[in-house]
Amino acid sequence: MRLLSPARRTARLLAVSMVAASLALTACGAGSRTGAATATKVACDFTNPAQPTTVNVLAYNSSAVDPYSNTMVSSCTHDNVTVKHDPIDFAGQVQKTTATLGGDTGTYDIIETYSFVVPDLASRGKLVALDDLFAKHQATYKLDAIDKSLRDAMSYNGKLYGLPMQTQVLTMVYRKDLFAKYNLQPPTTFEELRAASKTIQDGGDMKYPLALPWSATADISTAYKATLNSLGKNFVADDGKTPNFDTPESTKAFTEMKSLLPYMDPQVTTFDQPKVQQQLYNGSAAIGIMFSGRMNDLVQQKNTKLYDQFAFAAPPAVEKGGKQYGALSVDGWSIPFNTKVDQDLLFQVIAASVSEDASKASIPAAFPARTGLDQSASPYAAAAEAAIKGAPPAEAKPWVPPITSATTDIIGSVILGKTSVEDGTQQMQTAAEKVLAEQ
Amino acid sequence: MRRREFWVLVLPSVIVMFGFMLVPLYRTVRWSFQKVEYGQPGTSVGLSNYTGALTDPRLGQATLFTLGLTVVVTAFCLFFGYILATLVNQLRRARPVVLGLILVPYVLPHVVGGVAFSWLFDTNFGGIFNYVVNGLTGGALGDPLWFTDVWPNRAVVALNVIWYMLPFAMLMILAGLQGVSTETLEAAEIDGASPLQRHLFVIIPSIRGVLGFVLLIFTMDVLRVFDSLIPLSPQAVAIGNESIMLYIYNVAFREGAVNLGLGSAISVLTILLILVLLYPSIRNLVREAKAAA
Repeated sequence: MRLLSPARRTARLLAVSMVAASLALTACGAGSRTGAATATKVACDFTNPAQPTTVNVLAYNSSAVDPYSNTMVSSCTHDNVTVKHDPIDFAGQVQKTTATLGGDTGTYDIIETYSFVVPDLASRGKLVALDDLFAKHQATYKLDAIDKSLRDAMSYNGKLYGLPMQTQVLTMVYRKDLFAKYNLQPPTTFEELRAASKTIQDGGDMKYPLALPWSATADISTAYKATLNSLGKNFVADDGKTPNFDTPESTKAFTEMKSLLPYMDPQVTTFDQPKVQQQLYNGSAAIGIMFSGRMNDLVQQKNTKLYDQFAFAAPPAVEKGGKQYGALSVDGWSIPFNTKVDQDLLFQVIAASVSEDASKASIPAAFPARTGLDQSASPYAAAAEAAIKGAPPAEAKPWVPPITSATTDIIGSVILGKTSVEDGTQQMQTAAEKVLAEQ
Repeated sequence: MRRREFWVLVLPSVIVMFGFMLVPLYRTVRWSFQKVEYGQPGTSVGLSNYTGALTDPRLGQATLFTLGLTVVVTAFCLFFGYILATLVNQLRRARPVVLGLILVPYVLPHVVGGVAFSWLFDTNFGGIFNYVVNGLTGGALGDPLWFTDVWPNRAVVALNVIWYMLPFAMLMILAGLQGVSTETLEAAEIDGASPLQRHLFVIIPSIRGVLGFVLLIFTMDVLRVFDSLIPLSPQAVAIGNESIMLYIYNVAFREGAVNLGLGSAISVLTILLILVLLYPSIRNLVREAKAAA
């Protein structure tokens, strides 16, 4: 038997230790492709292509979008067609969308889009107009049942660029046990929201009863836009040339937002929607306003012991008589301009995923774009419907995404108190003017 | 070795080096003089990306933050890595188990480790750190704003980088300790050198090359810190805790506001900064290699 020197023995032990640790840890993270095995099966009767065809789908994972992408994969993978969808988060989808639409060839054949980005992408010729395909397959997939206003939200210059699957609207959730305890009604204005929050705070049930997703790197922009829209202003005036950030409404939007800070966790500028959900799960917040796709998670017993204590309502208006602190986002499917796959085949894959059966199966996780579906199983559907009716009209313009990117950090800085409201609004005005000049 | 065999063996490395290092480097340098959008040919803008970068106060702040983090983390890891390696070197049968445990943070993906690390300080996810420290100190810690206050957040970031880099320092120094001559150590002991004197005047000079290598790697790695900041410093830009790499990412990729030209210019400036900082270490390594030859 050959004896090892101490140095070699040590080296061998080191190697074994590292390999063992690596294997143990990588095994923990292995395997997490979207589980389409349990997805709803619907008819997806395209003409079988002559050659094996792979359809790559880009769509972020969330409880509201997953039912549609899973249905797409499970129902449309047959014969010569394989539909592939890899898990990705929303930030990843944003980056990959930019990358795949950048050149003449792309990685994806179907991409998840939403009303916020459609005007920008469509105006730059990055998406295929779907009107002809819609007309061709309308009867087969009963596409006329998809809400016309939502189709309009996914259109640009009168052409349809995304087939709507579901709607996300800012919806309010509150703890009905605490509201009953303090004899509170769901707030309909920011003043009432402050009063309700103060009552719960003063009652000692929790330090910070209000939870809003105000992450300084992303969500804060949605919050500011919702506040500004509620006060009757868009980012840009109707002339399409003058930003509205130096208006009194813009200043008031910041004042109103900052007035909520005493009732929110001091680190609210780091909170995205999952963190707001977590606050509500934990019972450390009593009122939250998030997109409706997050609401069904709150009533799941596996997520929180408070699952039966949540009630839902439309969000309040900033001022009495004004529009709601609202934002309406329509999610849908688009075909990128640079796909090499047959567009008729792709449209049928899309249409199948938003078919009547698929849309029914998405309830209550999602609020489908189809009308006439029984939503009684959804605990938040009535609140979402009220929120949709009261939401300010969307500013569907190509300049909204670049202005959002250019102003988000400034909004965060103002809310954090590092920049004064006056300086912040001026900086935002300058940044938006620069964006508009480049349009 | 025949010339043909030499090229057969070397060519794969040359191709990989060319493909994965030189081509991206060339593209980065070229883009740094252009306005670039994904998939589109760039248009020349001269030096405007460089002037834009150098006049942006965010670059100065990001550089200061990154350099400060590098100095603190490197100094801490060299000191405690040495102590840890010395302690592990004393172990016999328990050594593999201890090494395996210590190496866990090193093999964990940084962003995963960063998320788990953030939960230690996030009351939404338990905030065990606050709970334990307040329990031990009678509440002296209070509720620091770990993610929104500048210095508490810097402390969290530094602790995280130390957490995953310390095992590497320990491992390298432990390997160096294996090469220290036992005869020299025994001679020093016979001459009456205390344990501290043996470390200062025998062991550390013997592993000077290893320590220089650790310094070199730490300078390169900590200067490129990026992914752990995503979960640990969600508003890094606002509170001045943005690293150079995070700054490049934010400029070049975030939220669709792509500015690859400016991002490339900052990347080139970062390469130059790293080369300047590494120059003393590289010079020493070359000198030692020449002396050994």
